[in-house]
Amino acid sequence: MINPNVYETAISPTFCPGCGNWGISQALKEALGELQLAPHEVVITYDVGCNANMADFIKTYAFHGLHGRSVPAAAGIKLANHHLTVLALIGDGGFYGEGASHFLSLMRGNHDLTVLVHDNERYSLTTGQFSPTTPKRTITPSTPEGSIEEALNPLALALMNHATFVARGFAGDIPHLKNLIIKGIQHVGFSLIEILQPCVIWNRQKTYDWYREKIYQLEPSYQPNERLNALKKALETTKLPVGIFYQEKKKAYHEEVAALKEKPLSQQTIATIDIGELLKDFS
Amino acid sequence: MKDSINIKIAGKAGEGIKSVGLILSKTLMKAGFWTFDYIEYPSLIRGGHNTYQVHAAGKPVYSQVKNLDLLIALDEESLRCHQPELTNTSLVIYDSEKIKLEFLGKLTGVYLAIPLQQLTKESGGLPVMANNTALGAVIFLLGIELQILKEVIAQIFADKEPRVIQENQKVVEAGFAFAQEKFSDKKIALVQPQIKEAKILISGNEAVALGAISAGMKFYAAYPMTPTTSILHYLASKAKAYQLLVKHAEDEISVINMAVGAAFAGVRSMVATSGGGFCLMTETLGMSGMMELPIVVVEGMRSGPSTGMPTWSDQADLKFVINASHGEFPRLVLSPGDIEECFYLTRQAFYFSEKYQLPVIILIDKYLAESLTTIKAPAGVWQNSRYSFANQPIGKNFKRYLNSENGISFRSLPGWPDGEHLANSYEHDESGFATETIEMRKLMVEKRLRKFETLRQETEDLKPFQTGNGKKIGLISWGSNKGPILEALANLKEKASEINFLNLNLLWPFPKKALAEFTKDKEILLVLEVNATGQLVSLIREQLGLEIKHNFLKYDGRPFYPEEIVDYLHKFL
Repeated sequence: MINPNVYETAISPTFCPGCGNWGISQALKEALGELQLAPHEVVITYDVGCNANMADFIKTYAFHGLHGRSVPAAAGIKLANHHLTVLALIGDGGFYGEGASHFLSLMRGNHDLTVLVHDNERYSLTTGQFSPTTPKRTITPSTPEGSIEEALNPLALALMNHATFVARGFAGDIPHLKNLIIKGIQHVGFSLIEILQPCVIWNRQKTYDWYREKIYQLEPSYQPNERLNALKKALETTKLPVGIFYQEKKKAYHEEVAALKEKPLSQQTIATIDIGELLKDFS
Repeated sequence: MKDSINIKIAGKAGEGIKSVGLILSKTLMKAGFWTFDYIEYPSLIRGGHNTYQVHAAGKPVYSQVKNLDLLIALDEESLRCHQPELTNTSLVIYDSEKIKLEFLGKLTGVYLAIPLQQLTKESGGLPVMANNTALGAVIFLLGIELQILKEVIAQIFADKEPRVIQENQKVVEAGFAFAQEKFSDKKIALVQPQIKEAKILISGNEAVALGAISAGMKFYAAYPMTPTTSILHYLASKAKAYQLLVKHAEDEISVINMAVGAAFAGVRSMVATSGGGFCLMTETLGMSGMMELPIVVVEGMRSGPSTGMPTWSDQADLKFVINASHGEFPRLVLSPGDIEECFYLTRQAFYFSEKYQLPVIILIDKYLAESLTTIKAPAGVWQNSRYSFANQPIGKNFKRYLNSENGISFRSLPGWPDGEHLANSYEHDESGFATETIEMRKLMVEKRLRKFETLRQETEDLKPFQTGNGKKIGLISWGSNKGPILEALANLKEKASEINFLNLNLLWPFPKKALAEFTKDKEILLVLEVNATGQLVSLIREQLGLEIKHNFLKYDGRPFYPEEIVDYLHKFL
């Protein structure tokens, strides 16, 4: 067990008072500590948005890239050195909107990444416009007459899209979320952890209390090994279940690639390369 | 006696034109010739008109030429549409079962009827092998030993069943024997090369791919796009043997983000695309500049804008690539002049990219990417050094973006203790943390510009390709025009001595010094490029304050032909 404060940089967080990021960052640091992962063994990629504000405050190797793109960057890092533990942080706008093609593709490849989606149902950093998970008819600065689109159901979509680890947590329940992150990191393959995150500034309807009313933990008897059962749970709206909806053991992308059988790409020496065999084909 | 030969094989897409052209060119190479192969095809899988053109001689050839010595017309359209390229002495081989000459009106050239289907069938081949039957006849007409062609067939089909090799060898024998019997008086008096150097026949794309493998590239991602798709195919086919990670990703944005991610984790990585795909990559190109992570991007230009003419060539992305992405950051742009340069400059791209921690763009075009040529075989074994990494153990307080004198700051790799840092697309301080202060913003902008200045000084001494040392005419061009220009200069013979030719293969940092030296004493300056607005002309104006009035611009999707360059140059001679 490593003390969570080992993962803190010298910079104090600038999250809004009451932001869900306080809980998520604490759960993340505790999870890394419990897994005894030293800061240099972990890479976290950050998207752009309030979620990614964390990049300056958490000490690991980190990659703060472009909006919607933290997951393909994470996949590249993992493929280059699969000995690393790689997490990608992203928001609902980044992963289900701008980067939705990556959501659909990298999940199917079962890249061994733990993806934490900070879902606050808003584009909060740009002052609160509606996002792919905002319920229909919500009034926001970009939808003054109420949004017309139906909200995306990321868990249901992931379940139908070959995700091998699908979970939902809540930023207001740190011990529970910490356990989900631990399980997600331990899972070899694509782990989607959808995090219900209150935004106290731009989403005043869905407060911590609102979520606490709505949420229940999946029953101890629930077995996360049936896709259809998981789908039923993912489609519930009256109450919102949290926990691991589905988990399946399957080879991760890097385990299926011949070039990575022996060692990570980054450990292969390139000092001398012999292309003699290749030249024969052209002679 | 002829000392060079120009052959075109033409037919419908999907009829194996490329395969038969490759066998022909390889056979010529093994007979000691140097070849240049130019391919034209429409953006279709079946039914359009395809051509494979082989220009060969006993000395190096640099490009395709227009007038044909020999046309193999596999359908009627091929026979009709290439009439302007024929002369009275051109030989035309055609399938006499498919094409009836009497209905075609006035035709130029000498027509050799071969019942290709019948010959193929009689010799035990399948109908698809009729192209190779024609090839047997070609080899006879060129005076090349049949055995060489049979060996090439065995090599090309080595991974197929032995039956395929035997049947193809049978049909070429039949074609050869038929020509020997009917057309022995039509045999072309071609000088056969006496020296047989070790050569390889390779496309620009394959040369880029080989250069990348030799340079230790370990990660390659791409989304298929003409004209660089064959880099993806080639690397994917060698991924297992050479332990490469080759990823066909969901879009170009994912492609380049994965590649920059892989670079962050410490491997040399590359992507390739065309102008349209590069448009999608541009935001991440700037990220590579801001994060100071190395990435090699191959941009194969085709006729734009938009979808344009996907299988045709252009040089209209020059200004785009040197300016692509918002904000200001250092980059390097290379433009190989020929297929040999594709190999060597790709190696250079990895060196510059890693040393200076920036994006390097290799700007080629459809013409260079998909043409093939014979080159002297490069060495088999290559040595690579690594650049700009911190020494281990790293020690405390590592500063990833240290404000160093030359602008280069050493990097640590994930997994190295004490090297934890944030690779940041935001403006950042020396440790990588985001910043918006006036002081730090200026410091970091200036650091990156200083790095570019260091790079500029190193590249200043690179000598562009140059011929001539006279003062009359200075002809300036860039990239793939090198071949047609050299071919044109060879055609001009002694008159070429008045022409000095400079071909740029480094476009950014702009080679001001080399251009200033070249242009200072020339009476007449000319620029030749494949775009409609004279992009190099405009860059020279911007960078050197020099207005070059004589520009030969081409923008019809086709590369320059040496004949039209000769005609243009005659105006100034």
